[in-house]
Amino acid sequence: MTTKPALAANPTIEVNDVSKWFGQKVAVSAVSCSFGPGLTGLLGPNGAGKTTLLRMLTGLTLPSQGEVLIEGARPRSNVDRYRDIGFVPEESALYDALSAREYLTYAATLSRVKDPRAAADRALETVDLTGDANRRVGGFSKGMRQRTKVAAALVHDPKILVLDEPLNGTDPVQRAHLIHLLGELAANGKTVIVSSHVLQEVERMTARVIAIVDGKLAAAGDIAAIRRAMSHIPYRVLVQCDKPREFAAALLGNTAITSVSLEEDRIHLETTDLLALGRVVARYASDLDVRLATFAPEDESLESVFRYLVDGR
Amino acid sequence: MRAFLAIIRVTIRQTLRLRRAIGLVILSGAATAMYLLIILASRNSTGSLAGQRQDAIDAAVGLSASVFMNILVPVVTLIIATSVLGDERRDNTMSFLVLRPIRRFNIGAAKVVAAFLEAFTVTGIGAASLGVLVAIKIHSFAWLVPLVVGAAIATAAYAAIFVPLGYLLKRATLIGLTYVFIWENGIVAAIPGLATLSPWRIGLSATAALAPAEFTEHIPTDFALGSLNPGAGGALAKAVIMGIAAAALVASILRRRDLAGGSS
Repeated sequence: MTTKPALAANPTIEVNDVSKWFGQKVAVSAVSCSFGPGLTGLLGPNGAGKTTLLRMLTGLTLPSQGEVLIEGARPRSNVDRYRDIGFVPEESALYDALSAREYLTYAATLSRVKDPRAAADRALETVDLTGDANRRVGGFSKGMRQRTKVAAALVHDPKILVLDEPLNGTDPVQRAHLIHLLGELAANGKTVIVSSHVLQEVERMTARVIAIVDGKLAAAGDIAAIRRAMSHIPYRVLVQCDKPREFAAALLGNTAITSVSLEEDRIHLETTDLLALGRVVARYASDLDVRLATFAPEDESLESVFRYLVDGR
Repeated sequence: MRAFLAIIRVTIRQTLRLRRAIGLVILSGAATAMYLLIILASRNSTGSLAGQRQDAIDAAVGLSASVFMNILVPVVTLIIATSVLGDERRDNTMSFLVLRPIRRFNIGAAKVVAAFLEAFTVTGIGAASLGVLVAIKIHSFAWLVPLVVGAAIATAAYAAIFVPLGYLLKRATLIGLTYVFIWENGIVAAIPGLATLSPWRIGLSATAALAPAEFTEHIPTDFALGSLNPGAGGALAKAVIMGIAAAALVASILRRRDLAGGSS
């Protein structure tokens, strides 16, 4: 069991001090992390290096420095390793002249599945495209194209699934379906890595994230734990009660609280010590006979954590 | 083997688009059209029957060597062969293909074979149509099979060159055309000893070996064959070796280079 949050307990993919540069531009810089069974969100703003890192995980792109190991071996060292990997690239990656069924049968054939046609039909059903199986993928909407790519990555039932912005272009129903599907795959012991710049999506899928900012590993682990590790940034806490003015006035000047502001009936507090703040609020509420309705951190959401990581505030 | 055949089948379906195919077939038939014009123009000419036959053979061999094999076969094969891997890169389907448990050599070999089959479908039609027209004119099919075989060998050799080129270079068609016109028609034409490195000349050496003497004596030897001796077996062996080398080169590229470009 590891104590480093960037490292998974039972890693299937290990990223060891990996850097990648294209000419003068450094896309990924000295990243070390690992991925194990379950779902991990790979976060980062556009251009942060997520796609480059994902491509290195699959062996599509070679690291300039360091190494990526999949179950102990470099992905390109043995092509049989690709039986265990499914990849959904961000870009199109479809053969427009083929129907969805032909495309998936082709994927299954290349992956040496015993009955490619049956595997293709199963994959079509998984992504809810059976009704469009004989339509050419060149005529598909973006959401359908995304689902076709996901099906192509699943058709050979790989142990490892790497998805680069898989929810792009999908409508809310399709998105919910894909999120549920990825959750199921992760629950069944597969290593699922999903990159996204839409934080709410990642938050719905997993608590474990690896954040890349400017090509560097900015944070890793449980979202709340990452937030707690940012001790230099005060926590924002929302308090709602039946006597907001009295309560806010009473809290002013307490050493555990760095800032108090009142907005209608909502009290916003800032503190560097969340536990101490909890004790103070409980004691004052008891002393003043205030009935607390809400005591909730306002910036433990992934979006807040991510903003701190990117902006440093 | 199943994966190998699947790559060939999908590559051909993806790259042989109808409009382009029609255009290439028309291009490949340009020598036939020129021969037809020559026949029509000479219909009213006077002269002995034997003289007319010799003129018809001379025109057929001249067009076959200097237009069909020298220009049409390389240009058609260039357009098709550079797209079989180049399109995978341009359409971002390379990740789909390479992240599968297939030997890299098999991918390269399947792509070269696909390029050959697709290009030869077109150049074969051009060769056959010219051969048939010659047969109609001189009442002999003696030129048909040698020309088709020569076209097949030249197409295979060009496919072996242009498939890797299509992946390695973004402007592969332009550079390929430069190769065809500067290397083939400039440098090799000036230095006959280099003819063994010229695919259309290799193909023509097979045609020369298989055709009767009344045809081969019309081949412009210095320009068209250079230092090559007529020989179908040797020409075929060269084309096969070039194909294997191309598959090995593609495999090496797929093993050593980044297969998805740019940063993000």
